Amino acid sequence: MSEVAKKEEGKELSRFRPATDILEREDGFHIFMDMPGVSKDDMAIDLEEDELTVTGRSAQCPVSGEKFVEAQFGACEYVRSISISDIVDRERIKASLENGVLELFLPKVEKVQPKRITIEAQ
Amino acid sequence: MVIDFNTLYNFPSRLDRVFEEILRSPMGDDRRLAYPPLNLSNDDENIYVRAEVPGVTIDDVELTLTDKTLVIKGERTAPEGKFYRQERPSGIFHRVVNIGVPVDRDKVTAAMRDGVLTVTLPKSAEVKPRTISIDVA
Repeated sequence: MSEVAKKEEGKELSRFRPATDILEREDGFHIFMDMPGVSKDDMAIDLEEDELTVTGRSAQCPVSGEKFVEAQFGACEYVRSISISDIVDRERIKASLENGVLELFLPKVEKVQPKRITIEAQ
Repeated sequence: MVIDFNTLYNFPSRLDRVFEEILRSPMGDDRRLAYPPLNLSNDDENIYVRAEVPGVTIDDVELTLTDKTLVIKGERTAPEGKFYRQERPSGIFHRVVNIGVPVDRDKVTAAMRDGVLTVTLPKSAEVKPRTISIDVA
C-alpha cells in the first residue's frame, strides 16, 4: 500500500497542490490544473483581493466489497492559490472543467487606447 | 512567475508560500511513481484497473489486452503558449499491468470520468467463487 492510501485511513483527507501550467497567450493568461477525480460540484474557486484559491475534493467511490491490491492514488483534497496581478481583468475570469483538468482563463485588462491630440493651427 | 508579482503584496505571506512550495511537492511525499498512477482492485466479479489521466479523452488511450497483461498507452499534449510554469507532465505514457487471473475478454469495458480511467475486467466463470451446497444426509 502506498503512502496515499495510508493517509486516507485518517479522518483528514491528504492535501495536494495540483500540478499546474501557467502560460500566456495573446488574449491573456491560461492556467491549467490537473485535478483528476474532482467533479464540478466538488470544486470551489474563490477570488479574494488578488489571491485566487482553487479547492477541490476528489471522490473515489469503490464498489462495495472491493479489495485493493495496489493503490497509488486515492481520495484527496487539492488546494492551490495563485496571486494575480493588476493586468488581469477580474470581471471576465472564466473557468471550465474538462476530463479532470481545470482551465482558468484570465484575460488582460483592455489597454487604454492611445489618443492623438490634434494641434489646431491658428 | 510574472503573475505572482503584484504592485502591492504583503511580503511575509509570500515568503511563507515559498517555504510551503518547497515542502510540498505536487506528487506528494516526493515519491515519484510511474505515470500514470494506478489503483488495482478486485471483487468477486471483476478486476478493476484505475488510472489518473487528467486531460486525456478515452479516444486518446489505447488499451491492449493480451493473455496475461493489460497495456495502457496514450499521450498527453502540453498546451500552446509562453510558459511561466510547467508542472503537468506531458508526453507518451505506457503502463503494463499484469493480470494473473483469466478474464472474460469480450466483456472488458473502459470508462473515463473526471480524468480517471476505469477498466473493468470481468473474471472468467471458472475462477469465480462458487458455493457448493452440501446436502446433509
